[in-house]
Amino acid sequence: MFIDFFYTLRDRGVPVTPTSFLRLHRVLSLGLIHSVDEFYTVARSILVKSERYFDIYDQVFASRFHGVELQEPGDEELSELAKLLLDEWLKNPRQVADALGVDEEELARLSPEELIKYFFDRLKEQTEAHHGGNKWIGTGGTSPVGHSGYHPGGMRVGGVSRNKSAVKVALERRYRDYSQEGPLTRSQIGEALKRLRRMVPVGPKDVVNVDKTIYETIRNGGEIDIVYDRRLRDRIKVILMIDNGGWSMDPYIDLVQTLFHYVRAQFKDLTIYFFHNTIYDEIWLDPQRWNKPEKTLAFAAKDPETRLIIVGDASMAPFELTSKKGYIYLSSMWTRPSIENLQLLSKTFPHAVWLNPRPACEWWDAWSIDIIRQVFPMYELTLDGLDKAVGYLMSRN
Amino acid sequence: MTIADKINPLNTFRGASRYVLDEELAKIVNVSIAIEMPLLLKGEPGTGKSMLAYAIAESLGMPLIVLNVKSSMKLVDALYQYDTLTRLNDSRFGDSTRNVSNIEEYITMGKIGQAFVADNRTVLLIDEIDKADTDFQDDMLDVLDQMQFDIIEIDKTISAVHRPVVVITSNAKKDLSDPFLGRCNFHHIAFPDSDMMRRIINVHFPNLQGDMVRACVDAFYRLRDIEGIEKKPATRELINWIRALKSDPDFVLSELRRGDVPYLGVLFKKSPDMHIASRRIAQMIR
Repeated sequence: MFIDFFYTLRDRGVPVTPTSFLRLHRVLSLGLIHSVDEFYTVARSILVKSERYFDIYDQVFASRFHGVELQEPGDEELSELAKLLLDEWLKNPRQVADALGVDEEELARLSPEELIKYFFDRLKEQTEAHHGGNKWIGTGGTSPVGHSGYHPGGMRVGGVSRNKSAVKVALERRYRDYSQEGPLTRSQIGEALKRLRRMVPVGPKDVVNVDKTIYETIRNGGEIDIVYDRRLRDRIKVILMIDNGGWSMDPYIDLVQTLFHYVRAQFKDLTIYFFHNTIYDEIWLDPQRWNKPEKTLAFAAKDPETRLIIVGDASMAPFELTSKKGYIYLSSMWTRPSIENLQLLSKTFPHAVWLNPRPACEWWDAWSIDIIRQVFPMYELTLDGLDKAVGYLMSRN
Repeated sequence: MTIADKINPLNTFRGASRYVLDEELAKIVNVSIAIEMPLLLKGEPGTGKSMLAYAIAESLGMPLIVLNVKSSMKLVDALYQYDTLTRLNDSRFGDSTRNVSNIEEYITMGKIGQAFVADNRTVLLIDEIDKADTDFQDDMLDVLDQMQFDIIEIDKTISAVHRPVVVITSNAKKDLSDPFLGRCNFHHIAFPDSDMMRRIINVHFPNLQGDMVRACVDAFYRLRDIEGIEKKPATRELINWIRALKSDPDFVLSELRRGDVPYLGVLFKKSPDMHIASRRIAQMIR
């Protein structure tokens, strides 16, 4: 039954659903799997849905099947699984019924308690019928039929076998590169930002508007009048503001550079500004923050449909945000506290986010992060965070 | 259906004439066909994701239907099209053989629709699913799950005559949505190692001499290892490159062994990549 295999995968963070686990059992009971090698491959394709988890799968598989005795699952484990199945059932009865190989309607007549009982019995029955783990799969090579344990009439493989047991393959951890811990790469940023676009009609009128055409034709008394529209094109405007000053941003230079390069390639209508720590009365178009200043107040006149993305660690002394003379360069005299500038930007651009390269678990230790989060929604500069940020930027708020 | 039916030798995938199949993938394909689940393939460009569908179609003798997903595509486009304009035109001028009052005559099947109504079981390749938005993906999986869809205009339900073998490819580094993944089997095709690559080359160029193959493949992996390359050359580039070398009468194998690489442009498609590569090659020769 491999119930502990299932739970270990879940404990290690692989999102395995009970439905897919049942599906695996269906494959086993169909007699499609004849060796541990095949089990390794097929179970992975059914249970694990992203190469990012392949590495964890390999580790769990290796430790689970590396000279470890398989144990019968206890009733307690079975009833846990039965409860999980009920959850799945509530979400998608059809899939669960399919995976069990029974009629959906037959199950639909049962009450939740009866369902749990039913699932429990089915799981128990499967366990007993096969006398625990190892019997679910034949031993590789000793199968009486077929070449190297394959089913008669099975597939022929292009070339020699890899000559290693699945456990050895798993121990190699071939998929370490794909596991989630890797840094954000350029193409990943591309994937995340792909959805950031705003379709507006532009260009020549060359698409037929069927509804209007029918309407106009009827109005014309049947004389055909074809109405054309402009095509939808992406015309999103993006303003990117990058904190490029101060030692606190140093560890994140690579990350921000990656974002910067990609964003430049992705968006046609993009302006990039630079600031140090937070935004004061001026913000610069040049990375040196010297030659091309622009007044922050002037942003109030810009197109509010523009998406504003601010990148910075938002970590600074509180007075930098709130004091009129908060700027860390004492020679400068500013008239408005920085927080007011941030509020002005957030009011002008309803679609604005703050991306923070510091991991979210560290955010609590800087008071300034708290304050800025009240003004801008803040997301981690990770694949996940970018995804959420894009979701927010595209929402109609 | 009994097991024997499902594993009918005629219906089991064995790899095709131009496709080198590895053991893992063969097993996954066969199980997916047996339990009638769509197979989602991910992997670097050039690892043969789409080619697999062609190979399945060839080896199982099924027709292949390809749906190339585009970002602007709506699900209904993949199911069927209702040609309103022709109908409007026919109703106005009345010079066609179609019966204007019969809407069905103006409905043509999209790719998924074609796979459903085909007389034989087909292989349906849904290529680059990641280009479409999440809603498209989820809705499409519903259709494939139930193997039927409605044509609203004529209130008719189209059900699959034979469940097609569905192969879906994605280039995305990002994961697809959970409901989508829940309904697919998944495999990630790793970039082939040099042994596998030599076999692939042998399949494409059966008459090529062994030392030539080895030299080309070695040079190819050396080039892939150069740091700072954005788009690494893939299998497709290697095959085209060998084709270029073969057709060049002046090409000498010893030059290649020495480290010189002609026709770099076939392998590197981006000018910064080409620049980096040619500089590294110059260094290596010296």
